[in-house]
Amino acid sequence: MARPLGPVRLKKTSPLTLVFGAGLCIFILYFLLGSSAPEFSASRKASAASHPLSPPTSAFRQSTSGAKTGPPPVLRYNLNNVTITNTPVKNRESVLILTPMARFYQGYWDNLLKLSYPHELITLGFILPKTKEGNAAYAELDKQITKTQKFGPEKDRFRSIIILRQDFDPPIPSQDEAERHKMQNQKPRRAAMAKARNSLLFTTLGPSTSWVLWLDADVIETPPTLIQDLAFHNKPVITPNCFQRYYNAEKKRMDERPYDFNNWQDSPTAQKMAAQMSPDDILLEGYQDMATYRALMAYMYEEGGDIHYEVPLDGVGGTALLVKADVHRDGAMFPPFSFYHLIETEGFAKMARRLGWHAAGLPNYKVYHYNE
Amino acid sequence: MLPFASSGSKVTPRHHVSGYSNGYPRGNTFEFSPHRFQPRGTAPSSRRQRRQLVRIGAVIAACIFLLLLFRSGFSLFSIFSFGILSSGDGFQLETVRYYDLSNVQGTARGWEREERILLCVPLRDAEPHLAMFFGHLHNFTYPHHLIDLAFLVSDSKDRTLEVLVENLEAIQADPDETQHYGEISIIEKDFGQKVNQDVESRHGFAAQASRRKLMAQARNWLLSAALRPYHSWVYWRDVDVETAPFTILEDLMRHNKDVIVPNVWRPLPDWLGGEQPYDLNSWQESETALALADTLDEDAVIVEGYAEYATWRPHLAYLRDPYGDPDMEMEIDGVGGVSILAKAKVFRYGVHFPAFSFEKHAETEGFGKMARRMDFSVVGLPHYTIWHLYEPSVDDIKHMEQMEQEKLVREQEEKEKAEKARKMKESFGDASSQWEKDKTEMQNIALQEKKKEAAKQATKEQSDKQGGEAPKRAAKDEKKGEKDIRR
Repeated sequence: MARPLGPVRLKKTSPLTLVFGAGLCIFILYFLLGSSAPEFSASRKASAASHPLSPPTSAFRQSTSGAKTGPPPVLRYNLNNVTITNTPVKNRESVLILTPMARFYQGYWDNLLKLSYPHELITLGFILPKTKEGNAAYAELDKQITKTQKFGPEKDRFRSIIILRQDFDPPIPSQDEAERHKMQNQKPRRAAMAKARNSLLFTTLGPSTSWVLWLDADVIETPPTLIQDLAFHNKPVITPNCFQRYYNAEKKRMDERPYDFNNWQDSPTAQKMAAQMSPDDILLEGYQDMATYRALMAYMYEEGGDIHYEVPLDGVGGTALLVKADVHRDGAMFPPFSFYHLIETEGFAKMARRLGWHAAGLPNYKVYHYNE
Repeated sequence: MLPFASSGSKVTPRHHVSGYSNGYPRGNTFEFSPHRFQPRGTAPSSRRQRRQLVRIGAVIAACIFLLLLFRSGFSLFSIFSFGILSSGDGFQLETVRYYDLSNVQGTARGWEREERILLCVPLRDAEPHLAMFFGHLHNFTYPHHLIDLAFLVSDSKDRTLEVLVENLEAIQADPDETQHYGEISIIEKDFGQKVNQDVESRHGFAAQASRRKLMAQARNWLLSAALRPYHSWVYWRDVDVETAPFTILEDLMRHNKDVIVPNVWRPLPDWLGGEQPYDLNSWQESETALALADTLDEDAVIVEGYAEYATWRPHLAYLRDPYGDPDMEMEIDGVGGVSILAKAKVFRYGVHFPAFSFEKHAETEGFGKMARRMDFSVVGLPHYTIWHLYEPSVDDIKHMEQMEQEKLVREQEEKEKAEKARKMKESFGDASSQWEKDKTEMQNIALQEKKKEAAKQATKEQSDKQGGEAPKRAAKDEKKGEKDIRR
């Protein structure tokens, strides 16, 4: 028989339930509090854009109250006041670090965090292909970004970070070293690379950038003062010498060898070869069947030489490259086609020269490439 | 007949006034059964111990919680706002932006897919044209909130910048929300241009190469500062377009080409023929021009529309048929910059306005060449026309001055003619008055003669009074003298 209506009698509560409940309460409260935005200094808040439709080189204010934001304001950017000097820290010049990324290397990120240039002046830009490999790299990159931007100390946090996903498929599916460097694969590979670089550059440059640092995702070791040291030379385009550490089986110890062969001074032989080529063919560096006799910066390194020793260059590589933003603004880009029989970064050096900007290199200033 | 309404029914009515409304008998419902178990007044020691433990546990938990609160420095405020208003002032700083470029490819029906357009306008000393331009801006049918505006103001000596800012702020403050545009950026940059902006120096042949290179530089600066990862299209528009369809963005977009331009003409005064092709930079490449290009040195720039370089290229402008199909397309190699719609990916992949001699061309023509080099489709619409403002050239001005002179001469002649007629009329009028005068005079004479006769008679009677009239005459003469002095 049913019992008569009455107050439902509380069951005897076990202490375990209470403890569990209390734990849950703390858990919820913690996440309520933890979900609040990371605190930023007043100067960072002041430099943030007021609307999400804004140059990506700045952070922006994301409305959290759900209030309807008005139309974007009319903003004036005076590019006459964007300075590009050899003392960038003193003049608080913005640096845009651009990296086309196919694989994520922890060494790259750690090295980035070690850069001594004020991080609130640095914007990072990445472009990743929409492949399985690209997705994996993005997942790891995103993890590191969240760690730094949300939970890291404020001095480590970068001003803003832009992540782009490529809108075309890479021409060769494999990112393996051997496959990547096959000669017949070079033109389509480097044309795609050039497109990726241009896509990244022209959508992120914005109106306030002073310097653009191209840094490959596999550059894992640079001096922390890289930006200041390169900017000190006040050259429109300047590149350090890229080396690679490896285990020397003969000497039974770690050794280093030159890596980037795209930094060179032109030679008459190369000129002659170019003159005989059809308009769509390109000259490549570092291949046996194509001996150009160009003077390679990779071999100009001198043990114990002055790190500020400077040489003029006709072709540059992209592993680490500091460019004045004005060079890119004038239109110097990475040609994805044969431009004077040159392509990508080498073509870029040529195009910059056609616009009156000359490249330079520092043979004794070393940065290191990852070794697979 | 309802069953429960009948008194003889065996069904128990459910809605009974007193009794079993819920199936249980009423009354004493809230009483505990006296036969149930009653707890003891005091808890046994084991349970007291357990309770003690619970209390200690709660205190420890509270302590941990407070410690967390203290260490992470969060405000209590967010507990009450549930973390939504976390930073207090209604926003939080977002430092990471993620964009998938495959979502911004640009399609034929962009307005349905909310595709954003970047509208680029290079300006220099353009104050007089701004009112007209804002008229066009007001009328665009493409959803305004999907259009981002970017202006480059360079080397301007007039009030271009001030007028521009005033107008743009007025648009964004418009009570009609559909008028509001997206992101608006005004880029200021002076390139120190030495070439004057007046019509003659702008279009003089010698000045063309360096002028075009500087224009190209300006365009590149504008684009690189304003292009964002969320743009699907880029539209270049000159400020001095006088007449264009309001639907031009959709009209050009429908063709779904990488680069597309309309035909650009300009109206002319009647004495110059009424209308004329304006933009001669949209053309198809010709063998003659390619051969010519080979003979020129590396930095030379071929400019179209000048007798110095006879290229024999088919021009988009000359192929216009006013009654032709406006959707007809024509493949072109060089493009004019008055009104270009391009997919943003064209610019993302690196095509720009060469500020150097690219395949012997610069600026928009070089842009067309470079786009073709990278296998993008570049087309023009020969029968879809927009109209550029007519600014008279120096020759035109001379001609107009001459016409003005002629008009003045003609007017002068007319005036003289009128004067003559007036004079003739006047002299005729004089004669008639003379006649009247003569008539009256004759009458007077007749009267006087009558008077004389009368006077003769009178003198005969009063000859002794003559001496008295002389002093009166003298007084009259004095008065006349005074009048002369006043004059």
